[in-house]
Amino acid sequence: MGISPVQSVSAVAEAPPAETFQPLIIALCCNWCSYAGADLAGVSRIQYPPSIRMVRVMCSGMVHPNLVIEALTKGADGVLMCGCHPGDCHYQEGNLKAEKRAEAIRLMLSDFGLEEERFRLEWVSAAEGPRFAQVVRDFTEQVQKLGPSPYRTQ
Amino acid sequence: MAARLAEEWFAICGGCEVTILDIGEPLLDVLKQVEIVHMPVIMDHKLFGQTGENAEMEIPAADVGLISGGIRNEEHKKLALEMRKKCKILISLGSCACFGGIPALANQFSTQELVDKVYRDSKSTEKDGLPHEQIPELTDRVYAVHEVVPVDAYLPGCPTTPDMVANALLSILEGKPLPALSSKSVCDECPTKREKKAVGTLKRRLEAPDFKPGAPLTEMRCLMEQGYLCLGPATRGGCGGHDGVPRCIRAYMPCEGCFGPLSEKANPMVDMMGALSSIGLDPKQIPDRAATFNRFAGAGRLRPAPRR
Repeated sequence: MGISPVQSVSAVAEAPPAETFQPLIIALCCNWCSYAGADLAGVSRIQYPPSIRMVRVMCSGMVHPNLVIEALTKGADGVLMCGCHPGDCHYQEGNLKAEKRAEAIRLMLSDFGLEEERFRLEWVSAAEGPRFAQVVRDFTEQVQKLGPSPYRTQ
Repeated sequence: MAARLAEEWFAICGGCEVTILDIGEPLLDVLKQVEIVHMPVIMDHKLFGQTGENAEMEIPAADVGLISGGIRNEEHKKLALEMRKKCKILISLGSCACFGGIPALANQFSTQELVDKVYRDSKSTEKDGLPHEQIPELTDRVYAVHEVVPVDAYLPGCPTTPDMVANALLSILEGKPLPALSSKSVCDECPTKREKKAVGTLKRRLEAPDFKPGAPLTEMRCLMEQGYLCLGPATRGGCGGHDGVPRCIRAYMPCEGCFGPLSEKANPMVDMMGALSSIGLDPKQIPDRAATFNRFAGAGRLRPAPRR
C-alpha cells in the first residue's frame, strides 16, 4: 500500500525537526474509563504523539501523590492522570478523591522545583477515544514548551 | 567489670539527657554496671586534658557511646569522629541525633542567610555583632549523626523514651542484640476509630478534640479525621513502649512526628499531603508544609527552596 505524493510531502512538512525535544510522560489511566478510552483511540487508529508510557490502575482514586512525585523526581517530564468523569466512577467516588489529591500534588510540585503544568488530571470516558488522543496531544505540547525535567539525567 | 560509657551532646536542648535520668528505678541497675568516663552534662572531663595541655580533643575509650544532638559545626563533626573512634557501640540518642530534629529546621535556609538574619538583619541586633573568635565554624547544614559517622543503633523521640534507653543499655550490658525499631507507623498502633473521612475542616491545635475523658481511646474518633494535624500516617511507631498506644494519642493529642519517618527514603511531606487530601481535608490550609511535616526530620530532607 503506497502513499500518494501529496500525503508524503505533507508528512515531511509536518514531521518535527530531529532536535525537537520528545517528552517522556507517565500516564496513569483508570481501568474502567480512561484505559478503555485509550484502547478505543488505539483501535480507531487515531494519531497521537508517542510520548506517553501508560500505567493501568484500577481507579484514579488509588493514585497516591507519592507515585506522581516519585515519577517526576525520577526524571519523567510530565504525569497525566486520567479517570472517569465525576459521577461515573466505578467505585462511586474514587475520582473525587483523585481530584482532592491532585490539588495536593499541584501544591507540592513547587516544593520540588517543578512547574505546575507538568501534571494534569483529565476525565476521559471509555467512549472518548478521540478526546484521549487530543488530551495527549495537548499535554505533550504543553510539556514540550516547558522543556526537559530538571531531574532528567540524560 | 563495669561497662564504660561515654556521652556527648551536640546541637540539642538537653532533654534526652534528662530522659536518661527519667529511667527511674531501673537506672539503679544500669548505674551499678556502668562506669561513665565522659559526659559533659554531668561531669567535668575536659576535651583538651584537665589543664588544657593537649593539642587535640580526646575522649577516653568506651564500650558504649551515646550521642545526642545533630551536627551543626566543625567541632561537633570532629567530636563525632572521635566518639566513633573510641566507642565500640555508638548510639544516636533522640531525634536530633537521628534525623536532625528541631535545629534542622534551619536547613530550609543557607548558612549565610541564617548568619545574616541572626547577626545582621534582625532589628534588635547590633550590626557588628558577628562572632569571630574561638567559635567553631558552622557546617553548611545540620547533619544527623549517621550522615557523618556510622551509627549502630537509633533511639528516636523528642525526647526519646526512658524505656527505650533502659532497654538499649540493659541489652548491651547483658550482651544481647540491640532492640530493633518498630516498622509500624503510629497509625498502625493507634486505637482510635477511623472511618476514612474527615468531619469538618482543619482546626487549630488549641481547639479541644472531641472525646469523653476516662472513656477508652477506641471510642474516640481519629484526631486527623476530626481535623487536627496528626503526623501519625508518616511517623514511625513504637513510642508507646510495652503499652502500645502512642504517647501523644494517650494524652488526646495529635502525633507530632518525633519518631521520624518510616524509612530512610520516605518523604513525610508527600505522605502527609496525600493522607490529608485522601480523607477530604484541604491541603492548601497548611501554611508551611515542608517544615510542618519534616519537623523532626530536617537533616537531608529540608533544603533551601529551589530558585526558578
